[in-house]
Amino acid sequence: MDLYNTHVKLLAFDFLSLTPTRSDPSCFQRKGLRLSRAESIGVVVTRELKPGKFLRFTIDDGTGCIPCVLWLNQLTSSYFSRRSPSSVRSIARSALHFASEIQLGVVVRVRGRITGYRGTVQITVSDVALETDPNAQVLHWLDCVRLARRCYDKFSIIRV
Amino acid sequence: MDASTISAGALVRLQELNPSSPNFNQGASFRVIGKLQEYDLGTAVAIIVDGDASLKVDTQYLTLNLRPGSLYQFIGELQIEPNNEGILKARVGRNVDGLDINLYHQTMQLVRHFQAEQADIRTS
Repeated sequence: MDLYNTHVKLLAFDFLSLTPTRSDPSCFQRKGLRLSRAESIGVVVTRELKPGKFLRFTIDDGTGCIPCVLWLNQLTSSYFSRRSPSSVRSIARSALHFASEIQLGVVVRVRGRITGYRGTVQITVSDVALETDPNAQVLHWLDCVRLARRCYDKFSIIRV
Repeated sequence: MDASTISAGALVRLQELNPSSPNFNQGASFRVIGKLQEYDLGTAVAIIVDGDASLKVDTQYLTLNLRPGSLYQFIGELQIEPNNEGILKARVGRNVDGLDINLYHQTMQLVRHFQAEQADIRTS
């Protein structure tokens, strides 16, 4: 079972315990299971905007605070220079739209790559959705527990 | 606020925030849910209830339309007043009308068990 390209649903305390793999520090592991992408839902509790560069924010899901970064520099970054201008503009527009949704106190669902920054694991966000249904957070908690017990723990190489 | 200094609001029921509870710590961060019983416009202090328990919440930093009878969720820090009463200094809050409160409470217990279970696995 390979969950490397799946957006795994993890409770914040579980996400924050991910560690870089020895073979590749840009890749992360949970009890030996290699992961690169995650999805989480939480309340936005901090927000730091650097226009044209990035939006750093934190989501609190009740078990921990997950740091997130949403890049806003697509139009000026050399990382995107080989892509077609129209697709870069489209990505930049989406990112700006996501940034406007992320306000203090709202509940958001974020998906993205698991990355590291200054020794802490974080999500580099690719997708944001506002969750207005108050039950969404509860259903996410249930999903996280069920998936950890029935799937992620079963396929870790550290036997549980 | 610097993201590295912020604590997650621990999941608690209002019954667990009384002076005799181990949770009753000055400055500790909590996430609480309750029905708005009353709200003082002058002081911005709200009182939320859950069953027989109640909690005062200082909402002065929130831009939230507070309606008595609606269900609200707040995240903030507990301040213990000189009379040993607790008040939550809310950082964020939202209306959660429509929340399945029984499922919320049951799931909160499940999450706590799961956290304890994972902590045991990691230390063994």
